[in-house]
Amino acid sequence: MSGPGIPWYLAISAMLFSIGVAGVLLRRSPLIVLLSLEIMLNASNLAFVGFSRLFGEMDGQVFALAVMAVAAAEVCVGLGLIVAMARRNLALDVDSFTELRG
Amino acid sequence: MITGAWVCLLAPLAGFLAILLAGTRITRRQAGIVSTASVFVGFAGALVAFLDAWSRDPDDRTELTTAWTWLKAGEFEVGLQLLVDPLSLVMMLIVTGVGGLIVLYSNGYMAGEDEERRYFAYMAFFVFSMLMLVMGGNLLLLLVGWGLVGLASYLLIGYYHDRTSAVAAAKKAFVINALGDAIMALGFFLLVAKLGSLDFGVVFDAAESGELSDTVVTLAALALLGGAVAKSAQIPFHTWLPDAMEGPTPVSALIHAATMVTAGVYLICRTHPVFEAAPDVQHLAAIIGMVTLLVAGVVALVQWDIKRVIAYSTMSQIGYMFVGAGVGAYGFAMFHLFTHAFFKALLFLAAGMVIHHLHGEQDIRKMGGLKSSMPFTHVTFLVGTLALIGIPPLSGFWSKDAIVSSAGAMGGVLGWTLYVGCLVGALLTGLYAMRLYFYVFRGEPAAGAAPAAAEHGHHGEGPQSMKIPVAVLAVGSAIAGLLQIPGVWEPFDTWIDPVAEPLVHPSVAEDYLTSLFAVTLGTIGIYLAWRAFTAGRELVRAGGVRTALEHKLWFDELYDAVFSRPAQAIAVGLRDRFEGPVVQGGLDEVAEGTLRGAAATSAAQTGLLRTYALAITISVAVLALVFLVVR
Repeated sequence: MSGPGIPWYLAISAMLFSIGVAGVLLRRSPLIVLLSLEIMLNASNLAFVGFSRLFGEMDGQVFALAVMAVAAAEVCVGLGLIVAMARRNLALDVDSFTELRG
Repeated sequence: MITGAWVCLLAPLAGFLAILLAGTRITRRQAGIVSTASVFVGFAGALVAFLDAWSRDPDDRTELTTAWTWLKAGEFEVGLQLLVDPLSLVMMLIVTGVGGLIVLYSNGYMAGEDEERRYFAYMAFFVFSMLMLVMGGNLLLLLVGWGLVGLASYLLIGYYHDRTSAVAAAKKAFVINALGDAIMALGFFLLVAKLGSLDFGVVFDAAESGELSDTVVTLAALALLGGAVAKSAQIPFHTWLPDAMEGPTPVSALIHAATMVTAGVYLICRTHPVFEAAPDVQHLAAIIGMVTLLVAGVVALVQWDIKRVIAYSTMSQIGYMFVGAGVGAYGFAMFHLFTHAFFKALLFLAAGMVIHHLHGEQDIRKMGGLKSSMPFTHVTFLVGTLALIGIPPLSGFWSKDAIVSSAGAMGGVLGWTLYVGCLVGALLTGLYAMRLYFYVFRGEPAAGAAPAAAEHGHHGEGPQSMKIPVAVLAVGSAIAGLLQIPGVWEPFDTWIDPVAEPLVHPSVAEDYLTSLFAVTLGTIGIYLAWRAFTAGRELVRAGGVRTALEHKLWFDELYDAVFSRPAQAIAVGLRDRFEGPVVQGGLDEVAEGTLRGAAATSAAQTGLLRTYALAITISVAVLALVFLVVR
C-alpha cells in the first residue's frame, strides 16, 4: 500500500465540501447551486472511500455507490425544475422565489 | 283502595303524555276531551278508593304502599310511596273532582285559542303534580309534587306568552315559589342529617317522642311553614298571587283558588306532629293567617280588576285556613279548604263567563247591569258570593265559623286576638264581595258592556260545557257545608280526626254564638256595601288610606327596593368590575399574546432559499462543535 496517507484524502474532502457549501450559500443561479450540491455529495463520497480504505471494510464503498445513485436522481429533479423555470421565462435567480415567506 | 289511588294518580299523567306525544295529530277539541276524560278517570279512581276506605273501620283507613325504591344513598333510602288516608283522600277528591269540572269548563272557555293543546296538556300535568303532592308517602315525594305544581303554575300563568305582563307574573310566581321550595328543602336536609329518613312515620315519631332537640324541631317546622306560606300566598310571600291572575281564568280557578294555593294548609295538617312539637311556630302560622286575611281583605276593597278582587279574597280565605290549622283545628281547616274549593272555583268560573261575555273585559268599572243579560251567571255568582261571606245555610257559613269559634276555644290573648281578627275579616268579606257583585251585576249597564252583550246575544252566556260545571259548583257551594252541622252531625271532622286529632274543641254553644257574630258582621258588610253602591260612593275614600291600599301596601315596592334592586346593582357591579376586565380581559390577553407570538415566528420565514440553507449549515456546525466539545 503506497501513495498519500488518509489525512490527505480527508483534507481534500473537507475542502471540496466547504467549496460546495459556499457555492450553495453564495451563488444565485440555480444551476450553480445544483453543481455545488454535487460537489458536496462527491466530497462525502471521497470521505467514505477514504475511510473504507483505512478500515479495510467495503461498507463505505457500497455507501458511495448509493450516494451516486441519489445524486443522479437529485440532478434529474433539479435539472427538470430548472428547465421548467426556463420554459416559463422565469428569472434564473433563487432569490426571486420567496413565496414561502411568512 | 290502592288500585284506585294508582288509577287516580296515573290517569292525568297518561292524559298529559298522550296529548304531548300526539302533537298535531289530534285536533284541539280532541286534546280537550282527552284532558277532561283523564281527570275524570282520576276522579273515578279517587271515588273508588274513597268508598273502599269509607267501608272500613276508622282506624284502618290508612294505607302506605311502596312501588319501588326510588333513591338509595348509603343508609338513606326513599321509596316511591303512595299514602292513602282520609286526609289525602279528601284532597284527591277535591283535586280531581273540582279539577275535572274546571277542565271541562276550559273546553268552552278556551275554544278558539291558538295553543289549546298545550293548555290542556299543562292542565292534566298540573292535576298529576297536585295528586303527587297529596299522595306522596314521604316528605321527599311531597317536595317533588310541591315543585311540580310550582312548575305547572308557572307554565299556565305564562300561557299567554306573547304578553309581557303574563311572562313577568309567571316568573314572579316561580321565583317566590322556588324560594319556598328551597326553604322547605333546607328543613328536609336538616331532618335527613338528624334522622336519616324522610318517612312521615319516622319524622312524626321523632317529633312526638322528643327525640329531636327543640331547636331542630323548631327549625324544621319553620322550614315547613316557609314552604307553606310561599305556596299559599300568605304574607310576606303573597305578592305573586294577584299577578298570577294574568293566566287564563280556569287556571286561576283551579290552581290559584281551589287546589295549589291551599297546599300549604294541607302541608300543615299533614305534618301536624312537627308543628305540635313546636307550638310557637304553629301559633306563628295562625298569626300569619290572621294578618293575611285582614290585609287581603282591605286591599280587596279598592281593586278594580274582577279577578284580582277574587284573588285577594282567596288569600284572605286561605288566611282563615291558616288560622284554623294554626290553632290546631285541622278538621275545620280542611273543611274550609273543601268548601272554599267549591265556592271560589265557582266565583272564578262565573267571573270567567262574565269576561268571556264581555270579550276579555276585566275592569269592573266597565261592567254593570249584567243581571238581566246574564241571569244564569248572576244567580250562580250570587250563590258563590253569599257562600264566601258565610250566609247560612251556604257552605262558607259552616266552615268559616267553625274556624273562628276554634280560635275562641283556644282562649288566651292569642286565641281572642285571632277571634276578633277573624270576625273583622268577616265584615271585610261582606264589604268587598258585595262591592264586586254590585259593580258587576247591578246598576246601569256601563257604556262598554252593553254593545258587546247585544252583539253576542246569540250564544247566550256560554256553551253547555261552561254552564254545567258552574251549575254543579253552585250546587256544591250551596250544600257542601251541610256535611258539618255543629251539634247535629259532623261526618267531615270524624273523617279527618284519625289522621289529625284536633287540639281544640269548641262547644256547640260557642259555635252558634260565633256564627251569630259572624253573620251579623257579614250582613252589616253587605248593607254598607249596598249603601255605598246606591249612593255611588267608594268604600274607602280617605285619600292616604286609599293610596296605600291601591299600592297594595307597597309590598311590591318594598321587595323591589330591598331585594331586586340591590341584586341588580351587585350583578351590574360584577359585570363592570369583574367580568369585563378580569374574565373577558384575561381571555383577550391570551388571544393577543398568541397572535403576537405567531407574527414573530412568521417573520423568521423569509422564503429565501439561501437563508434556510444557511440556517441548516449553521445548526449542523453548532451540533458538530457540541459533539466535539462534549466528548
